[in-house]
Amino acid sequence: MKRITIDPITRLEGHGKIEIFLNDQGNVENAYLQIPELRGFEQFSIGRPAEEMPRITNRICGVCPEAHHMAGTKALDMLFNVEPAPVVKKIREMFYMAFYNTDHAVHFYALGGPDFVLGPDAPPEERNILGVIHKVGVDIGKQVIAHRKRNHEVIQWLGGRGIHPVAGLPGGWSVAVTEELRKEIEEIAKQNIAFGEFSLQLFADVVLANQAYVDLILSDTFTEDTYYMGTVDENNHPNFYDGKIRVVAPDGSEFVKYDAKDYAQHIAERVEPWSYLKFPYLKGVGWKGFVDGMDSGVYQATPLSRLNAGDGMATPKAQEHFEKFYETLGSEKVNGRYKPVHHRLATHWARLIEMLYAAERMLELVTDPEITNPEVRPIVTNTPTVGIGSVEAPRGTLTHHYETDENGILTKVNLVVGTTNNNAPIAMSIKKAAKGLIKDGNISEGLLNTVEMAFRNYDPCMSCATHSLPGQMPLEITIHDSKGQVVDTLNQFID
Amino acid sequence: MQKSILIGLGNPILTDDGVGVKVAYEIERKFGENIPKNLTITEASVGGLRLMELLEGYDRAIIIDAIQTRNGHPIGSIFRLNLSDLREFSPTQHSASAHDTSLVTALDAGIEMGMKLPLDITIFAVEVENIMDFSEQPTPAVAAAIPLVIEMVLDII
Repeated sequence: MKRITIDPITRLEGHGKIEIFLNDQGNVENAYLQIPELRGFEQFSIGRPAEEMPRITNRICGVCPEAHHMAGTKALDMLFNVEPAPVVKKIREMFYMAFYNTDHAVHFYALGGPDFVLGPDAPPEERNILGVIHKVGVDIGKQVIAHRKRNHEVIQWLGGRGIHPVAGLPGGWSVAVTEELRKEIEEIAKQNIAFGEFSLQLFADVVLANQAYVDLILSDTFTEDTYYMGTVDENNHPNFYDGKIRVVAPDGSEFVKYDAKDYAQHIAERVEPWSYLKFPYLKGVGWKGFVDGMDSGVYQATPLSRLNAGDGMATPKAQEHFEKFYETLGSEKVNGRYKPVHHRLATHWARLIEMLYAAERMLELVTDPEITNPEVRPIVTNTPTVGIGSVEAPRGTLTHHYETDENGILTKVNLVVGTTNNNAPIAMSIKKAAKGLIKDGNISEGLLNTVEMAFRNYDPCMSCATHSLPGQMPLEITIHDSKGQVVDTLNQFID
Repeated sequence: MQKSILIGLGNPILTDDGVGVKVAYEIERKFGENIPKNLTITEASVGGLRLMELLEGYDRAIIIDAIQTRNGHPIGSIFRLNLSDLREFSPTQHSASAHDTSLVTALDAGIEMGMKLPLDITIFAVEVENIMDFSEQPTPAVAAAIPLVIEMVLDII
């Protein structure tokens, strides 16, 4: 096979590019994904006061500003060496659970869910939220909007502002919860639980009851045995706000568990000559290429990953669904814990279980006797040095790392965003999807669809898609034969 | 009385991407104390569904945003669009893993679900150069377009 060098400096013109290379037989040898990345964030940040970072970084992404705000706030806790009071942690986590409710709902009903609800062969014009409404009814659409609306209100009340929160302080939070507010949030938490259960029932009725979909979930095309990362509490249950970062091996054994601040000791970044994307991998296993298995340091960070990294869910209804999930997908228990599920499409189911957990957790927090304690703003007196804060963003473990001078002015900034963890798995999933549909030089119908489905599991943060009109993500797939000649180009939204 | 919302859209720390936000802030500043009672001025860095949800309850919306048509228009060109123009930009409905649907789809979905959404939507879009580098300042040609957009918006408020 002829080696092709792709110049990574080539400007991608704002669209994503997938390059597929065929061998002499016309079968897929390799597939690579390149997405334009936003540039210069570190330079932009250096020289600014670190306390501004939660308010600056909540602009990085129009979809998960809450996640960046929270990771940044936690980095400030460490930077200024202030341990937040219990009430502060509870308010922050409660705010964060409202965010999970909105975010996971939109992904299932508008983005990933349509693949199942309409079916992967449905025409693309139908595989979106409109199609879902047509299929399951307007009432359900209304429920989704109402669910988002009530949680957006919680985010606004607790976050100090609509959409882009500003309440994070080193060791504190600028909003305290009054009894009046508490009552409203309690009502919302209960409605969230009902909606979470409803969504899981819908999944059971529409997806699990349909053997073709179940076969699709279990199919080899969408299956890969990688390591799994997630944040867990002291009982090894997933917690999105705080805990230790746990990595579980493909065989289900615990590989490592560490504090967020030690991330650099456990994760390294692989640089490939054909891309400026970085590919994180586990140092303890090593980089063996874009392959899965126990010997490859590639790991994943998604809702599926978080469930796999946990021993169970911290709340009862979510736990019931957790067990059903693993039993249904044929996972056996070894040493008291379920072996990981490697079927990527199950991520959509895992996401709904997380949404239910977030609702239950919200109710737990809002009924905690301490939640209305008004002492939420500590005085900060320590000299800052280094701060590292990590949360589970819906898209994966998110880490903010700030270093400052003694006046708290930033000298160094590093962000590892949720999707970055998945750069290698995404490439691998795309390759596998392509392999199934390109045989002996013949490119099947539905290549674009299947690649999209593989992609969408990860709900990747493709920044180019959320900024400026027209607002979709242009994607180009180029297929090269073994001599490097372009055989075919498929694209969408590119003129 | 007709309720209107003016939204400056974009990311204010991504060079030209924040042109809409800058316009909105300028317009708000110009009104000072005298913002019309039926007008809400705001800014947001969101798209699709979230944007659609912001429009609920209003009769009219004016949105200002950056655009990259890549059709050879000079940087700083200003387009005035309505919804049907926007539909032409998204002829197919492939949704390749963006976190969101397009505004057009979101609006259609919202209307089907019986939400009260504005039928009168005007979009002022500025052709921009750089939305990939972090900076709070737009490029010169885009900066030069800002006062022109402001005039165009004030004309129709």
